[in-house]
Amino acid sequence: MSGRWQWFHRLGSPKWFYEKTTRWLPWLVGAMALFLAVGIVWALLFLPPDYQQGHTSRILVVHVAVAGTSLSFFPLMAVAGTVTLVWRIKLADMVAKNAAPLGAWFTFLTLATGSIWGSVSWGTWWEWTDSRLVSMLFQLFLLLGVISLRTAIENAETAARACALLSIVGCINVVIIKYSVDWWNTLHQPSSPISMEVGSPNGPEFWVATAVMIVAVYLFLAVSLILTTRNEILQREDKAQWVRELVAQAR
Amino acid sequence: MMKPHRRKRLGVILFVAFGLSVAVMLTLFALSQNINMFYTPTEVANGEVETGTMFRIGGMVKDGSVEQQQESLAVSFVTTDFVHDVPIEYEGILPDLFREGQGIVAEGRLDTLGVFQASRVLAKHDENYMSPEVRAALEQAGVNPDNHQFGATPED
Repeated sequence: MSGRWQWFHRLGSPKWFYEKTTRWLPWLVGAMALFLAVGIVWALLFLPPDYQQGHTSRILVVHVAVAGTSLSFFPLMAVAGTVTLVWRIKLADMVAKNAAPLGAWFTFLTLATGSIWGSVSWGTWWEWTDSRLVSMLFQLFLLLGVISLRTAIENAETAARACALLSIVGCINVVIIKYSVDWWNTLHQPSSPISMEVGSPNGPEFWVATAVMIVAVYLFLAVSLILTTRNEILQREDKAQWVRELVAQAR
Repeated sequence: MMKPHRRKRLGVILFVAFGLSVAVMLTLFALSQNINMFYTPTEVANGEVETGTMFRIGGMVKDGSVEQQQESLAVSFVTTDFVHDVPIEYEGILPDLFREGQGIVAEGRLDTLGVFQASRVLAKHDENYMSPEVRAALEQAGVNPDNHQFGATPED
């Protein structure tokens, strides 16, 4: 193996990942708790009500953060999938496998919070003719598809490759979700251009709480993915010397 | 350097992903009119919708056009994209956000008089969020902060 690619393969070592994340986890969890607390308190107590929606706009702090984050799952799984297909690095597939159910939950939360907001603001829970809504639902189905594809194929390596391919293809839908509100007319509003000026439409008093929540939700994603991947490592590498020692220590 | 067999695999993946993306995008753009949620008043005025068919129309509620019946839930208003107007009649509960100057999407049919008989009216929210104070201040300064998502601005 040539020297230039060595770092890449070391990064793909389950043992390296497990040891590093043991040290990172407390910091990540601490930062997540901090951002979540600030975001939630800000959204509930200090965010000004919107001139049209009143207090309903507080739901959007969570909805926008969860929705934005849910769009990162297919790109994440596609990168991991490409590494699996090209370099056959096991760790990439462990991350991809655990990202799918998480992504399904994030997508579900996006649809649920959006529906609650829509029932009050639009006067409807769901519109089949809105391309933003339907493409987001399609992402949920795609993720459920990735999950069932893995359980449907018995050979683990074949399953990993099939899921990797579906994840790469699924990225097309992310682009469609993102631009659906610009390409076609929809009930869903387009994304807001943020303003730096306090006291103007979309001013900092509105978006800072959302920005804090976006960081909090991404940290939550990172912590959840690391925790589930660590479990996966222990299960798949249970024959490895270092895992055996770890288990012996725990006993 | 990447090993040749790996480079080949990466090439195949990129090729498949690119090909599929192009195919999907072309399909979507060919179907664009069907993916759009509603027609604009201008499209309706241009006769793009057959009389009698069920469809959705989207526009702004024209200022001063809302007439609410006293004894019933019947309401009539005019929807506009600031180029063409379409009158709408509806009987039922309107969403909380419904008001003059608001974007709406209505579902129903055009009758022979050119009045849109709506069976459902939904309120559209724009991408601007602001507190009541900011909105009042903007109005005082003579700026119309309402959305202009349906074509030209009212000032035009």
